[in-house]
Amino acid sequence: MRGPGAAMRRFLGPLLCLLALRLPASSGAAARGLDVASYRERVRAMFYHAYEHYLESAFPYDELRPLTCDGQDTWGSFSLTLIDALDTLLILGNVSEFQRVVNVLQEGVDFDIDVNASVFETNIRVVGGLLSAHLLSRKAGVDVEAGWPCSGPLLRMAEEAARKLLPAFQTPTGMPYGTVNLLHGVNPGETPVTCTAGIGTFIVEFATLSHLTGDPVFEDVARKALKALWKNRSDIGLVGNHIDVITAKWVAQDAGIGAGVDSYFEYLVKGAILLQDKELMSMFLEYNKAIKNYTKFDDWYLWVQMYKGTVSMPVFQSLEAYWPGLQSLIGDVDNAMRTFLNYYTVWKQFGGLPEFYNIPQGYTVDKREGYPLRPELIESAMYLYRATRDPTLLELGRDAVESIEKISKVDCGFATIKDLRDHRLDNRMESFFLAETIKYLYLLFDPDNFIHNDGSDFDVVVTPYGECVLNAGGYIFNTEAHPIDPAALHCCSKRKEEQWEVEDLMREFYSRKKTKKLTLKRAADHGEGEKAKDSQDASSEKPGEKRNSKKSSHSLLSCPSQSFNSKLAVLGQVFLDNT
Amino acid sequence: MPAKLPVNFFSTRSPVIDLFRGQLDYADQLRQDSEIVLYFFYAPWCGQSIAVREEIEHVASRLSDQVLFVAVNCWWNQGKCRKQKHFFYFPVIHLYHQSFGPIEYKGPMSAVYIEKFVRRVMTPLLYISSRSKLLDFLSNYEPGVVGFFEFNASPQPPGYLTFFTSALHSLKKDYLGTIRFGVVTDKRVAEEISLVHSGSVYLHRHANTSLIYPKDIMNFTAENICKWALENREMLIRWLRPHGGKSLLLNNELKKGPALLIFIPYNPLAEIHPLLDEITKVALEYHKCNKSQAAEAELQHAGDSDSPAFDSSVTDAQLKFSETFPIAKYPCCNTVVLPQWHSISRTHNVCELCVNQTLGVKPNKVHVPRCNFLEIEAALDSFYLQEHTFFQVISNTIECSNFLSFYSPFSYYTACCRTVNRHFLSFISSEKTIFQTPKVAFSSHGKKDNTQFSVPHIEDRNCFIPDLNISSTNITGLSCRTNKTLNLYLLDSNLFWIYAERLGASRSTHLKEFAAIVDLKEEVHYVLDQNQSLVGPTLENFIKNFSVLYSPLKRHLVDDPSVHFHEEQVVTEVTTSTFHQTVFLSAKNVLLLYYAQWCGFCASLNHIFIQLARLLPPDSFTVARIDVTRNDLPWEFMTDRLPTILFFPHQRKEQSVKFPEDFSVNLPNLLKFILHHSSLSSSEPCTKECLHKESVLQQGHISHLEREIQKLRSEISALHQAHDQLEAQLSEARREEQRLQQQKHTLEKQHKTLQLHSEQLQATYDQKNQELLEMAEKLQELADASENLLKENALLRILVASRGGKLQSKEEIEEPLQSEQTLSEDNDISLSTATAALEEKRIGSIDTIETEHSSGNRTE
Repeated sequence: MRGPGAAMRRFLGPLLCLLALRLPASSGAAARGLDVASYRERVRAMFYHAYEHYLESAFPYDELRPLTCDGQDTWGSFSLTLIDALDTLLILGNVSEFQRVVNVLQEGVDFDIDVNASVFETNIRVVGGLLSAHLLSRKAGVDVEAGWPCSGPLLRMAEEAARKLLPAFQTPTGMPYGTVNLLHGVNPGETPVTCTAGIGTFIVEFATLSHLTGDPVFEDVARKALKALWKNRSDIGLVGNHIDVITAKWVAQDAGIGAGVDSYFEYLVKGAILLQDKELMSMFLEYNKAIKNYTKFDDWYLWVQMYKGTVSMPVFQSLEAYWPGLQSLIGDVDNAMRTFLNYYTVWKQFGGLPEFYNIPQGYTVDKREGYPLRPELIESAMYLYRATRDPTLLELGRDAVESIEKISKVDCGFATIKDLRDHRLDNRMESFFLAETIKYLYLLFDPDNFIHNDGSDFDVVVTPYGECVLNAGGYIFNTEAHPIDPAALHCCSKRKEEQWEVEDLMREFYSRKKTKKLTLKRAADHGEGEKAKDSQDASSEKPGEKRNSKKSSHSLLSCPSQSFNSKLAVLGQVFLDNT
Repeated sequence: MPAKLPVNFFSTRSPVIDLFRGQLDYADQLRQDSEIVLYFFYAPWCGQSIAVREEIEHVASRLSDQVLFVAVNCWWNQGKCRKQKHFFYFPVIHLYHQSFGPIEYKGPMSAVYIEKFVRRVMTPLLYISSRSKLLDFLSNYEPGVVGFFEFNASPQPPGYLTFFTSALHSLKKDYLGTIRFGVVTDKRVAEEISLVHSGSVYLHRHANTSLIYPKDIMNFTAENICKWALENREMLIRWLRPHGGKSLLLNNELKKGPALLIFIPYNPLAEIHPLLDEITKVALEYHKCNKSQAAEAELQHAGDSDSPAFDSSVTDAQLKFSETFPIAKYPCCNTVVLPQWHSISRTHNVCELCVNQTLGVKPNKVHVPRCNFLEIEAALDSFYLQEHTFFQVISNTIECSNFLSFYSPFSYYTACCRTVNRHFLSFISSEKTIFQTPKVAFSSHGKKDNTQFSVPHIEDRNCFIPDLNISSTNITGLSCRTNKTLNLYLLDSNLFWIYAERLGASRSTHLKEFAAIVDLKEEVHYVLDQNQSLVGPTLENFIKNFSVLYSPLKRHLVDDPSVHFHEEQVVTEVTTSTFHQTVFLSAKNVLLLYYAQWCGFCASLNHIFIQLARLLPPDSFTVARIDVTRNDLPWEFMTDRLPTILFFPHQRKEQSVKFPEDFSVNLPNLLKFILHHSSLSSSEPCTKECLHKESVLQQGHISHLEREIQKLRSEISALHQAHDQLEAQLSEARREEQRLQQQKHTLEKQHKTLQLHSEQLQATYDQKNQELLEMAEKLQELADASENLLKENALLRILVASRGGKLQSKEEIEEPLQSEQTLSEDNDISLSTATAALEEKRIGSIDTIETEHSSGNRTE
């Protein structure tokens, strides 16, 4: 099975080596540290420049058109940019505006509209945005209702939006259609072809919804779709780009980590972390193996045919730049950093990442020269900075701020770069610019932000369902950079049973020692100590049973410790494994 | 929208010429004007270009009279530069020495380094005029190439230009400029390095024999000379300057074996580098395997050259110590016996403590047999604070270390210790006098509780450790004698201090000097105590201590200094330094979580551990965690997966248990785990202590229950709140219902009135209908009447017609003829008009005759 891959490596070998020679692009380690605070303020100013112009010129449309200073509906008609930017407001510390927008959204947004909407985009932007805003609303000083976080107006809106998407999942395979009409469900004659990411990017939002509302239907459909994809992977363990959700036939058979597939892998990992789910993680690890085997060349990831593993496109896509961040979440920091440094050279060449970059040629690909101010590379930089504190990552942040301000800032906002070769602009500002790009940039320059909380701070919330520890860090970002508090998932539905169990154990904890000591006393009196033994055996049985039922997976939900040489793996230095 | 137009990148007042429209052709023209030109190719959006802009301006302001600085925007796609050059990164710096170039600068993007490089391009060859200058040149740690050219014969001796070019060429290959090129013109000076013939080239080497360029084997070209020098140069100690991009530099160097990394602040423009000279000396000594006379001489020369440096009293305060040390040649010494961990131990650590003074308290210290009392007391005091280092001496080898005095910045102490047999010691001490007073002074400074240790005391200065020699020549050639050879590297701490921090350099110190031995294979590193000043002797000792068979060096454990111990923290944060204290010395059960901030699986467990810590009684349980990426631990406590959960039961701390990996980490499981393993704890018969514990436990239970009650109360209140909320919603709903009811009523009323209305309407409708019917009937009548009239009319017409018919019957024969005649007349008229039109058009255009004809035909 490794045959084709090895052959390809031989074929590509010279090309990639040439490239590797070129790669050590001397940036020169910055002698002085970056002024992080000033860059943070510049990012804040960028946000308000775009946000205020959106409110002024484009609201209530979905997006701002920065060159003509007006608005347009793009993904539906939900004031998308406002929903998407909501939690960024809080991360920037603007509590009052957050509260105002929450009210505006409650009154203004209606999902009972005759609009054909992308299931994927509506989920990640609208449902994800509303969920995170709901979970953060207490922190933002919104006067939450008594049932929060298990109820609330924003949660109800998120649920309503998600319910509109459920008809799309009514297919023989359980994999959803790509588009759904919010009023009438799936249109007759709708194409059954959906991209892989459009099938596997629901578990984070839908599981959160299920845990918060207590209705399992969301998590169930998301899991079913994930399993259907898993079942349809190729013999060599790869998935293609597009699949027919009725017949489960692969329509586009390019396998890679970028466009069309990206967030599927992302959600396997994030779902595993959020739900402590070994099954999802084992799926990812299998994919990861195949991806390394077939698509990875010299720390680049190429596109291959999903059945044969032969290289189909030696390109790097802008969307692939999330991968190093994902790797750092599961502890593969060394590889993440190496790949990141490759991607960074592309940024240095153009001042942005082209949608496609031909690796052997070292240039953009025809018709794919644009850069719509995507966040992925900055996202990875933020994750990696958490792990390594490498100043190189701040340098990327600096480069991003300088490039975006110099190239795409216009009077009315920030315009998509239509062509990175000459920096022509396009009349569009995608909502992810405020939701993701700005957010990750700000977080990169704000190491003390509450989002980076390492567990030293937390809130205790008393709900009618019991006491919850919330906001203890470990936020999981959905693929549109909306943070979800993993602790909130343990707060609502299954809470009671666990609490009772804990109560029982605590009782045992206190009484046990007492009975034990009593038995000891008795043992002294009567000369027998069997009862103590009995109680011990009883307690040791419980874990024993569990072990049998769960023995299959061996510490899948863990990261490897970092190696010794990682101490010195900063400022561009990489180390080759000994193994 | 098209891209924005380029604007000025440098200010107009800047000494840098800014060709922001990318006029490469003009840039080439400019090159003719100046001998040395620096091109700065930038992209206006590039963060690095923006950052380096200032540095370039700084260099330009210093060198603008000799060097032309030209900045070219190589991004604008209408510009010549973008069209001709294809850069993968910005900025790119190219240098030209007249027609020679481009020489790309790839070093650190800081002004001093750039300036140094530009100066090297300006004068690639150093002119060596005298013997002492030659020795100076050769004594440098960086390899030197010397060419001998006699200028008296012709204006330019043969080969000189080639040699000059090779010096420039080397800058292309070796952008750090480690190989220096010198030229000798004096025959007598050349003889020093046994160069006789003009045109010969010499590569100096310290440890190996020096080489002369083999002209007969290789062609005398610039490339060849450069290649030859690069291949044969000797790198006893080399600079590491990672360029910031992806690179395997450290990987490749550290894979060669254990490495000594020395971090010093370095200014490439400075004339003298005393600290560097000292380190060089150590490096030369270390590599000097066969004592060659030449090397000795050079060393002495290097030593001598320090003295004038010292006299000139350089202002750089940071280098003060290192500069001044070399003249301290006459230390005073005393012997100290160290206290032991156990008084029953049969061995003692004995140290030779020497005071090295560098500035003249006693300028004529030609021979000081003993130190004066104050000096040795101060020394002891400083020394005692270092005591931990010496308590750990276990081998028979001698370990030496230097440290700065706490009282005087001008003196430092050397202590060499080894373990000796107790009998030997008592034998000695019986013979020697013991300083009484210092002993008292010493113990007064010992602030820690050291009742179980005997107080260290000072022995007579007469050395009883015969092989202890402070000047320690035994580093000479050590690299060949030991099987743990070190590679020596220098790093500029102005640029690469982050590596030092990663290896455990203290962040608080302003003195950026640091040395560490890194052994990648063994995954350990050792650190030169930062309290010791980084000077030659301390480095030597450090190297020696590493090289001996049973090295006294301890693996350095990096600690996270940013963690502050908070009493109120629910989950205790453990670091390397608090690990032992929190986990082993505390009288509690400890649950310890190994985590890393970046590991997703760890961070999502935070809330569970917080809950657990809040649940367990704090007086008998500690829930703790340690960030293992920032805190090293001894091997036995390392873990290879994160998160890992260990439980250290009270009283059996050495029997730690690991939370099984295949369990999901949640509150009930963790509680069960703790319950299971802490249960075995008390197996002793119940005594008072046990009763006490019992009561404590019950107290705990009570407080737990109280907390539970409180929780329940708050839960109740929350429920109440929810209830109220529901109530409110309900009443709202009721009100709503009522309102609806009312609305319904009103609607009903309206309905009724409407019904009435509609009935009325119906009635009126019926009425109208009736009226209409009546009208219709009337109309019918009228119609009938009119029909009758019509019939009558018709009858009348028939009557009239019949009458008329009778009258006309007489003229019937003439009428048809008349109608035929009128018809033919009509035809004639239309034909004549058509032909008239045709005639007119024929005059207008002959070309269209045919079509006109046809149209005419058609009309016909």
